[in-house]
This record gives sequence, C-alpha cells and structure tokens, in this order.
Amino acid sequence: MRKLTHYYSLTPEWQLNVAEQLSTELIDNKLIVVPNHIGDGFFYFSQIMEGISVVYADLLTKEPLKIIRQRSDNELFIFHFDLSEHVNLIKINNVDYEIGSFNQLDLAILDNQIESAFKPAVGERTIALRLLIDKKLLHDFILKFSTSENYFAKSKSNKKAFYHYGNIDSNSILLIQSIKTKSIYDLSFDSFLKGISLKVLGNFFNKFYEPKNKNLQLTDVEGQALEKTKNYLTNNLYGPFPSLTFLSGMAGMSESKYKSLFKKHFNDTPKNLFIEEKIKLAQKLLRSGEYSTLTAIMYELNYTKLSYFCTKYFEILKRKPTDDFVKKNATKKVT
Amino acid sequence: MKIIEHRYSADLEWVEHYAAQIGGKIEGNFITTSEDFQTGTRYFLDCGDGIIAYYLNVEYHRNFRLIQKNLNQDFVGFYYNLTEGEATVRSGHFMYNVGRWQYNLSVIDGALESRYEVLKGSKTFALCIFIKKSMIKAFLKRNNIIIENIDTLIDSKVNTIVRFDRMSNESFHVLNDLKKLEVGGAVFDLNLRGTVHLLISNYLKKIATKRVIIQTVNENDLAKIISVQMYLIEHLGEHFPSIHFMAQMANMSESKFKSLFKKITGDTANAFFMENKLQLAKELLEKKQLTVSQISDHLHFTNNSYFASKFREHFGLSPKAFYKQL
Repeated sequence: MRKLTHYYSLTPEWQLNVAEQLSTELIDNKLIVVPNHIGDGFFYFSQIMEGISVVYADLLTKEPLKIIRQRSDNELFIFHFDLSEHVNLIKINNVDYEIGSFNQLDLAILDNQIESAFKPAVGERTIALRLLIDKKLLHDFILKFSTSENYFAKSKSNKKAFYHYGNIDSNSILLIQSIKTKSIYDLSFDSFLKGISLKVLGNFFNKFYEPKNKNLQLTDVEGQALEKTKNYLTNNLYGPFPSLTFLSGMAGMSESKYKSLFKKHFNDTPKNLFIEEKIKLAQKLLRSGEYSTLTAIMYELNYTKLSYFCTKYFEILKRKPTDDFVKKNATKKVT
Repeated sequence: MKIIEHRYSADLEWVEHYAAQIGGKIEGNFITTSEDFQTGTRYFLDCGDGIIAYYLNVEYHRNFRLIQKNLNQDFVGFYYNLTEGEATVRSGHFMYNVGRWQYNLSVIDGALESRYEVLKGSKTFALCIFIKKSMIKAFLKRNNIIIENIDTLIDSKVNTIVRFDRMSNESFHVLNDLKKLEVGGAVFDLNLRGTVHLLISNYLKKIATKRVIIQTVNENDLAKIISVQMYLIEHLGEHFPSIHFMAQMANMSESKFKSLFKKITGDTANAFFMENKLQLAKELLEKKQLTVSQISDHLHFTNNSYFASKFREHFGLSPKAFYKQL
C-alpha cells in the first residue's frame, strides 16, 4: 500500500511536500496532478479568504492509497464533503469510519489536532471537497449564532475532538456536483470553486443553526386537512367522538398517517383533544346557570355515566364539576 | 421625479454619502430609508480583495433619477439588474433599457458619468459589484488567470469599459438562489461572497469563450429573441412549443431563429427550456408541497422516470434523493 503523509495549512506551502512524495510537481501553487502509475486525478488547492481555504480532490486510484494527515500547529477545522458514489474510509484513532454519498454519510468534520487517514476505494472515482477553516473564524461564527445547542462546544468537551455530522444538504450536493462538470484548466475555475465553497459553507451553517422544530413540515394541503378535521371536532362537541376512520377519511389520509400527523401538529391525539374541548364546553355550560342538574349537562354532552364525566372533568381541570356548577333554580331564587 | 446625485467606489467610502442622498440611515450593513419613496432592502458588503458588493431588493414608489458621478474613478462596476418594470441607463450619447427582460448585465467604467432612471412601481432586484481596477489585475494574478493585454484593457485612457449584455442563465439562477435567502448575518455574507465569486467566474468564462457581445446584435432581433425567451419562461409548465412556432413568433426563418437564439442565450431553445424547467422543478421540490410525481405531471413530463432521469442528468442527483436530504 502506498502511503502519503501530509499536513494542512491555510497557505499553499504544504503541497510541496505532497508533490514530492508523489514525485510530481506543484503547478501554480494550486494543482497537483496524480501521476499515472498511481491513479488518475488531481488535488486542487485555493485560498478563499482570510481563514478559509479549500482542497478539491477528484481521483481514481489504481492501487491502494493511504493518505495520512498529520497534526499541524495551525488550529483548523476540516470539513470533509464526500461525493463519491461508493464507500471510502476515514481512520481516526484506529477506528475506520465509512464515508461517501453511497451510504448517506458524506460529511465529516475533523479537528486537525488529531491525526486521521483517508483511504479512497481502489478503482472508483473519489470526489471530495475539503474546507479548511481557522478555528478563530468558527469561534466568531459561534458567537454570532448564540444558540443553546452549540455542537462545537460539545465536541470540545468530547474526548475525541471529532464529530461525525452525517449528511450534506441537497443544495450543497448540487453545488459540489456542479464542480465535477467544470474543467480545472478553465480560467474561471478558481473563482467558481471559491464561490461554491462559500455557498456550501453558508448552507452548512444555515442548516446547522436552524431551529430543530422545523422538522415537522406539512404540505399546505395536509395542514388544511388537519385544520378542517379539528374544526369539525370542535363544532361537534355535543355528539360522540366521530371515530378515527371517519376523520382520516375526511382528511384524505390513511388512519395511521392521520393519527401521527395530528399528534405532531397539535401535540395531542384527536380523541384527547376532543375530550379536552368537551370538558371546556362542560365548564361553560356548568357556569351558565341554565341547567338544573349535573346529569342534564352530562346527557347534553353525550356522557352516559356521571361518575365517568366527573373523573374526566377533574383530570383535565383539576377541580370538581360541583365547584363550577351554578344551578338554574338557584339563580331564580336570588332574583 | 426624485433626482439623486451619488457616487460609488470600490471601498465603502460612498455608503454614507449615498445614504444621506436617498434620505436613509446606515444600520450595520443595511441602508434603511423612509418607506415613502421606496421599500425593501439595501445591503452592502466588503468582500475583500478590493471588491464591494451592493445588494438591492426594493420597490420604487416614485420615479427616480440617479446620477452617478464618481470621485474615485479607479473601479469597474458590474451591475446585475433584474428589475421588473422600466429602467434605463444613459451616459453621453447612448441609452439602454435595463432590467430582467432587457440588458440585465451592464459593466460600466467608474470614470464614466451615468444616469440611471427607474419608473414608479418598478421592482428592482440587483447586485452591484465594484472592483478596483488595480485589483482586477491582482485578482487575476492571484487566481492564476491569464488574460492577454490586460493592461490596455483596464486603462481608462485607452479603453473605457462600457458593456451592455445579458447575463447567462447560470448567473441568473445563482442570483435567484441568493434572492431566496434572508438578508443579513454571517450565513448570508458567506453566500453573498460565494455569489460574487460565482458571478465573476461566469463572467470570465464568457470572456474566455468569446461569445458574441450582444450589443452588436440588431436591436429588433434581440427584442424578439428576448420575447421568445420570456414566453418560454412563462410557459414552463407546458410542452416545448416547437421551433416552428417560435420562429413564427419572432418573425424569422427557423434556421435564423435557431442560430440567433443560441448566440444570445448561449443555449439552444430546447436546452434553455429544459434547464429552466428543471430549475423550476427543483424550486418546487424545495417548497415541499408537491410530491415528485405531482411535479412531473405539473410540468408535463411524459412520465416520472423521464423526469427523474432528466433531473439526475442535470443535477447529478435523483429528485427523490434531493427531496430526502433537504
């Protein structure tokens, strides 16, 4: 197995050593073309702005290759976006982590204080975009987004300063895919790569700091259907519970889908919501002073047992029906 | 008509003066104005390397005339202007209509005094990029881009840069993506910088391929081709209308139409149509309101698998996978 050791810095000088090991030369301080006997492809490096640089690799190896990244003095985070359609390996602390768009885990964030090794699969085209970012800069970012869930802080408290984040968002995949189609010899390539890198980073932070409660995304149609059934429930409190089959039919969904969506959207099951609304209505009726007995109200609301009604009432409002009850004839006597 | 005299430059010196002229204030990177004359967002950002980006998304409630007289003339302005409404740029003896369906990319030398007029009710979405001339050279050098006789190109005594053009479809979509984002904050700044780089890249690509400069095309023909483009964009949900039909619309022979369309947009009519259709499909997917097959039907693809394969061919990712990882 051929081994290649290197370190990263934000400035181009680290490439010299890599080029030497590959016995090839560094072109324009940015491009290393992999020699033919090892494989087919290149590494492209560019400084995007103060504190951010990018390495883009597109290669097809002919023999096993192990790219060992040594720790360096610069304080960097490495964002590794892997768009290969097969599994590559990243080795950290002697544990192999699979990465590649094939198994949907295609983004890794590495701390450059910890050594890692990257092993591209042999005979397959590996596409990877690595953003090297000064920790100071990320610190600024973190401060700017003062979110309670701050995972960089979390990863520091972790023993391993490594975090396997999971997957890239679709828009970033499209952006990285679009690099594939460009030629690195085009004079527009450098700006293009920089632009893409910045946007990918923007997408990452955007996704990362987005509040998690956005997870539940209903389409408008579904939302409307749920509202409709909820309105139906609140408008028909005097009757019995209309059954899930009926409600899901009304919403045009399967029962299980309806139930789970309803629960997510209103934080309650349809039945519970129905009972709660019913009891609230009961309280209103009790206080209205238009009924002479509790039983009358109970029947009005389609309950058959007073004790059951009382229990439910207490369960929800934490008080007894009699506490709220204003008797009809009682009010008459007063007047 | 409100007349405003202002200046731009490739540093942030102009901002204060500009804000004062339009009766606004600077808040962070925003320029806020009173809502009477115009509503919307104005945002500026120093992108480093002597590049300033100025982002506008405003609606004008009065007619405006903006006269640009620059004190420091050492820069070139790239104006990506997607105004819906009527706007013109005038300088010396020439005048051009600008906006989304007119010349939507103008490159104007800072040494030139120009007049920008925009009518009431127009909605402007624009990105202006100001680049120091000295930096153009340095920028090209740093990014290892070699253009011959660059010195004469950027010397305003020899060569005043004025160019009216239409941006490529790719640039348009890059801007459109930017428009979707909430303005302000570090994430937006990253995206704005990224967008500036992509636009520059696109522009360089255009220079490199030496595509025809649109100013040289007969104005009448240009207007017709653009109107066909507009028609295509407005009818993305339907089938491709056939070259025969479009050529008739443009009053040209089919072969003339085809070659002219390609010259101006850089794409064949069919490719242009399909690309925009797929972009629309992508936007629909992003909204998460319709399923893949609903979108495929909505956009009149013959069947889902054809849609999926086209989507994959264009974006390198199937619609389902795209949807899943949003």
